[in-house]
Amino acid sequence: MKLPSFLRFVGPSVGLMVALMAVPLAMTFYLSLRQCALEMETVTVTQSGPFGQQEVTTQRTKTTADGVPISQCSFVGLQHYKRVLGLDRAGADDALAPATTEATTSAPVGVGASKPANEFFSALRFTLSYIAATTPFVVGIGLLLALGAQQLSTAWRAIFITAALLPFIVTPVVAALSIKWLFRDNGLIPYLFSHFGVQVFWMAEAWSAQLLIVLYGVWHSVPFAFIVLFAGLQSVPQDSLEAATIDGASRMQRFRYVTLPHIMPLVIFILLIHVMDAYRVFEPIIVLTQGTFTTSVQYLTYYILLQESNPYKASAASVLTIAGVAVLLIPLLLKTYREQRGLN
Amino acid sequence: MPLSRFAQRIIYVALALWLVIASLPVIWTAVISLRDYVDAFANPVKWSAPVTFENYRALWIDREFYRNFFNTMVVTIGTVSISLCVGCLAAYALARYRGSLGFWLLLVALVFRALPHSTLLPSFFTLFDALGIRNTYFSLIFVLVAINQPFTIWMLRSFFMNIPAELDEAAMVDGCSRFQAFRRVIIPVMWPGIVTTGLFSFLLAYNDFLLSSALTNAEKMTMPAAIANSISAESEALLMQGVAGAVSITLPLIILVVIFQRQIVSGLTQGAVKG
Repeated sequence: MKLPSFLRFVGPSVGLMVALMAVPLAMTFYLSLRQCALEMETVTVTQSGPFGQQEVTTQRTKTTADGVPISQCSFVGLQHYKRVLGLDRAGADDALAPATTEATTSAPVGVGASKPANEFFSALRFTLSYIAATTPFVVGIGLLLALGAQQLSTAWRAIFITAALLPFIVTPVVAALSIKWLFRDNGLIPYLFSHFGVQVFWMAEAWSAQLLIVLYGVWHSVPFAFIVLFAGLQSVPQDSLEAATIDGASRMQRFRYVTLPHIMPLVIFILLIHVMDAYRVFEPIIVLTQGTFTTSVQYLTYYILLQESNPYKASAASVLTIAGVAVLLIPLLLKTYREQRGLN
Repeated sequence: MPLSRFAQRIIYVALALWLVIASLPVIWTAVISLRDYVDAFANPVKWSAPVTFENYRALWIDREFYRNFFNTMVVTIGTVSISLCVGCLAAYALARYRGSLGFWLLLVALVFRALPHSTLLPSFFTLFDALGIRNTYFSLIFVLVAINQPFTIWMLRSFFMNIPAELDEAAMVDGCSRFQAFRRVIIPVMWPGIVTTGLFSFLLAYNDFLLSSALTNAEKMTMPAAIANSISAESEALLMQGVAGAVSITLPLIILVVIFQRQIVSGLTQGAVKG
């Protein structure tokens, strides 16, 4: 295929990605260095009430003739980064009592957890712990299920696979809610636990809430690992397995020296995908704890944007999030690059 | 060498146990959605209780959940069809073009695939407010299409790679232009790949909560965004409507996975097995 027709074919797709991913990304950097505030003016209004005409002075936003609010924007340098990272003491106090000049409109509704000063670090810490806690279980359980499912007859395999896919396809926010209802006071799980004399208020304490989030993560991600590994096991060369048997290899030895090396690239693939996806953990955080005991990097941006209504500070959190994913991704990119070099 | 009967039994028990774990949240939610609040969250837990459809009635009729269902359908169908049209063109070119530009494009797409979506939201808010297109189907659909593109072109490309290049060359020798060869010869044999990729686009758009809840409100909310009220539901009625909503959202997905199990599995393994 020639270059001009290549460009014509990829044009729409690249155009969309540039307009709605690359440009917004660049804009995020720009926004993170700025701050806009609505311009306020003091006006005297004449009100007619039950006590007759009264002159009242109030603050209101300055608007243009068309009624569009005027806002004043300025570059604030790294101020937002300092705030998000908790390096700026004054800024941290400021964040607790939002200045009236900012575009901050309403106080957080419903989710009113007070944040630690180093918001980003605490979000990053939990995100990384979540990745570390879920990954071994996702790969381990996925592998065990794949090995186990090989023992099933063909008809049962189809049924098992269909049912096992369920956690993977259910809407994450719905799945997290279902788990919340299962573990809620007077829910099914606390009831079953009470038979063993164990009483836990799952959503009321940090450790149990975090455990629930990890449980959700494992539950949600195992099907993917299982399906990929199960497909990989079908392609293990039977000749090698038979040869190993003839040479007197035990079941464990055959797994260790024939099967495992064959599926190792798939395990790496699953690890990479899972780390990428786990870094984005969001739904279980907002559903199970509403940020009370845990935040994640995605949740932090979302919270600052929607609850603190500060797109500029949220942009700073975004940029830090992107930096985090870049660090996580560098090994993957190097590997892809080397492989491509090897092929050419 | 077959396993011993005992080992086999242990495996069956373990697999059955996983099925219980995998389906328990979904099944229990379905069970309690048919009960009053008092029976749904009773202490001790009730294994059977009078069946009532009140939660569903309150949700679909009083809360007008059909509007959210309609929004989800508009957004999902829009996203899937645009994703596939745009993605097929790009993926086909990426499968046939031999220059290094294609490789770099795929690499950048991979980086975008890893991008946490919330990082784009502050810009979307600012941009869409400036253009006056926040809270429209249009903006949400195109955002979902763009975010879906990296995955779509990677997956479609691996399907296009399976179609021998001789096929389009033969068509072009016979006098087709490049686009005609693509449109009349390649696309008709690509259907399995298109269906599989379409399923994943569907799941992405249908299941999205982060972007949909941030970019839509009021009468434009999709089902997952609408159910967010139930997250910190104070009132019992609202909570039970959320339970009914959860089941309403999940049911189409279960039907989908039963019908298209084979395609979903092939899609999941497509990228992996080929490396």
